[in-house]
Amino acid sequence: MSVRFKLDYRKFPAQPTEPFPRRTSVSRPVIPIALINNQRRVRYLALIDSGADYCIFHAEIGEQIGLQIESGKRLSFFGSSGQEQYAYFHEINIEVGGHETACFAGFSRELQSLPYGILGQEGFFDNFKITFDYLKDKIELQSIAD
Amino acid sequence: MVENTDLSEILKNYPDKWVALSGDSSKVVGVADKPADAVQQAHAKNEPDPILTRVPKNYGTYIL
Repeated sequence: MSVRFKLDYRKFPAQPTEPFPRRTSVSRPVIPIALINNQRRVRYLALIDSGADYCIFHAEIGEQIGLQIESGKRLSFFGSSGQEQYAYFHEINIEVGGHETACFAGFSRELQSLPYGILGQEGFFDNFKITFDYLKDKIELQSIAD
Repeated sequence: MVENTDLSEILKNYPDKWVALSGDSSKVVGVADKPADAVQQAHAKNEPDPILTRVPKNYGTYIL
């Protein structure tokens, strides 16, 4: 059964910059999710990122749910800096808005400069139809029925 | 439960730390170098289901 729900954008601290001197906060499509592995569960903030091919999370968060990070399948990936990074993929479940779904997700020790996990095309966009409404600070998610 | 979605004030004093937020994101209930320690602090404050996030040195501008 398909489930539809709305979540809010979240505001984070920002420092004024030369082109944006009045900016002290920034709104981003960041939502609370839960990562689940067997009976272990951890809640965590993650960015909905249509530019990401896969879901990638911090390795420390994977360890919170009992994963042996480096035992997963290794993938090299590239962020906007062009630098090669590595993630190790594991079968987990993610819970969003009370809806739980399977997700083959990567865990990386090289996300230290990133504040959130990344919800990408495979594992998230293939599980939810997503509508962004930046002006209203709303994100509508509709689960795609199996 | 009404969720606080404006984290611009409550997160700004914890650069380079893992932070555990209360279930409604209204307050910080744990701060540590490792998420496990932030969760432990949250549990000690009777917050059974905290939300973890990493606070960077600077939230900066992201073009991902």
